[in-house]
Amino acid sequence: MAVGSLCWLLAVGTASAHGGSLAAGGRESLTIPTWLFLSTGGAAVGASFLLASFVTDRSFVERVHAWGTPLVDGEARIPRVLGRAIGVAGLAAVVVVGFFGPTTPRTNLAILLVWVGWWAGLAMTTYLVGNSWRVLNPLSTIALALPSLDRTYPDRLGAWPSVVGLLALVWLEVVSPLADDARLLATAVVGYSVLTLAGSVVFGRETWFSEADPVDRVFRYYGRVAPVSRAEDGSLRLRLPGMTLSTPRLVDGADEVAFVVALLWVTTYDGLVTTPAWRALTTPLVSAGLPPHLLYPFALLAGFGLFLGVYRLAVRVSTRTAETYLAPDELAERFAPPLLAIAAGYHFAHYLGYFLFLAPALGTATLAPFADPAAVPVYQLPDWFGGVALAAVILGHLVAIWVAHAAAFDLFPSRLQAIRSQYPFVAVMVFYTMTSLWVVSRPEVPLPHL
Amino acid sequence: MTQSDHAYDVPADAPVFECDYCGRPFARERWLALHHGLDHPNELDDDEVTAFRKAHEDEEDSLGAFRLQALGALVAIYFVLLMIYALV
Repeated sequence: MAVGSLCWLLAVGTASAHGGSLAAGGRESLTIPTWLFLSTGGAAVGASFLLASFVTDRSFVERVHAWGTPLVDGEARIPRVLGRAIGVAGLAAVVVVGFFGPTTPRTNLAILLVWVGWWAGLAMTTYLVGNSWRVLNPLSTIALALPSLDRTYPDRLGAWPSVVGLLALVWLEVVSPLADDARLLATAVVGYSVLTLAGSVVFGRETWFSEADPVDRVFRYYGRVAPVSRAEDGSLRLRLPGMTLSTPRLVDGADEVAFVVALLWVTTYDGLVTTPAWRALTTPLVSAGLPPHLLYPFALLAGFGLFLGVYRLAVRVSTRTAETYLAPDELAERFAPPLLAIAAGYHFAHYLGYFLFLAPALGTATLAPFADPAAVPVYQLPDWFGGVALAAVILGHLVAIWVAHAAAFDLFPSRLQAIRSQYPFVAVMVFYTMTSLWVVSRPEVPLPHL
Repeated sequence: MTQSDHAYDVPADAPVFECDYCGRPFARERWLALHHGLDHPNELDDDEVTAFRKAHEDEEDSLGAFRLQALGALVAIYFVLLMIYALV
């Protein structure tokens, strides 16, 4: 994994025992056997489902979810112009410094800005505060100035291009040295920009960014977990975190369900491929003659298929446990948004330590983009830090359980029916929590066979 | 909340209780009564209101039984983990 390798590089460079990887910190703090640690996490999720099922007062659930305070008008001009300017300046910095800046990964602003500032830092603010990418997105700003051919976007494509795009981007992130080679990163950014701008010229800016662009969709979906969200009229509203996720029609159609599942899967895949178990599992395959360059995309697709299959199966079982005549697709759409809280929790667990560790380096590089200092400042994480990662994984699941509980109450007339509809989802979630905790608690090893 | 925009998948030989107001099918009469009260509170006649109250009371009873089971499961999880932590 590209991000992991940068992290590993820095960890080695500073001879740190726990480096930037959450994994090492998490493992150090473990004094109980892994199976017990995993079962405890699973039990915590199961128990919180039982606790949530005690809350059967419909009006209370609705009050919690409807609570909100209007904030400022979201269409205010000055912050928007300022945000757009910052976004475009960021893109320009990545391209210019990427091509002409220092070649050491840990001093190059392009690499630090993309991986630390954007993919770790900005993504975290998206689900912790609100989706600012809507304004910051430099390509969307540039597209404003471009003409549009306004071809009709084929309806049956829907969100599928963004699903494919997300899987492709993650595959690229994992297998290519995008975090080591600034020139390559700048080339990739230029390539992606050209593709995106071409798409928005052909189909129109609004359509392209709302349907086909994977990055915009990732940030938009993460933004739904956030406390600050946009109301219909464009004004900003403060709600309890995650509560927007129970809104009907938030995810519409099998394509958008697939995107949510893909987002969940890629966060797992990202961590999974750097575990020692992955290395042990794939070494015989590679030595038996499987080309490593096929191994990674194959595993990416197979895992996505597995996740989607398990989710669809859980939906089928749910229609039976709830004895409902609602179409399975209906349930799949309604119970997909809670998964975003899990994805956000897992992203936080994976990237918070990485972000804090490298944030001083990003600051230094921002102030002097073309300097190439020998020593880079980093923030040494305290030993207890691994616990934060584990707590984030569990917390994501708890929010998801609560939101799904509220969505089920909204969907079914009988409250017992609503609780029963959640059985298969909770079973899958318990299993998934244990998998995530296991991945987060493994030491991070460099990507094998590449 | 309007229910009319839902998609349904009703098995051929299953019992169906359909809502007169929005057409949503249910597998049990009691669920239809609850649905009437929750989603069409202002459109009901007296019989439907009575049926809703009855269904609501029955639901409270079965929820009570469910809560006891859930509490039992919680206690079981707690003690099993406690035992394991004491032994490991």
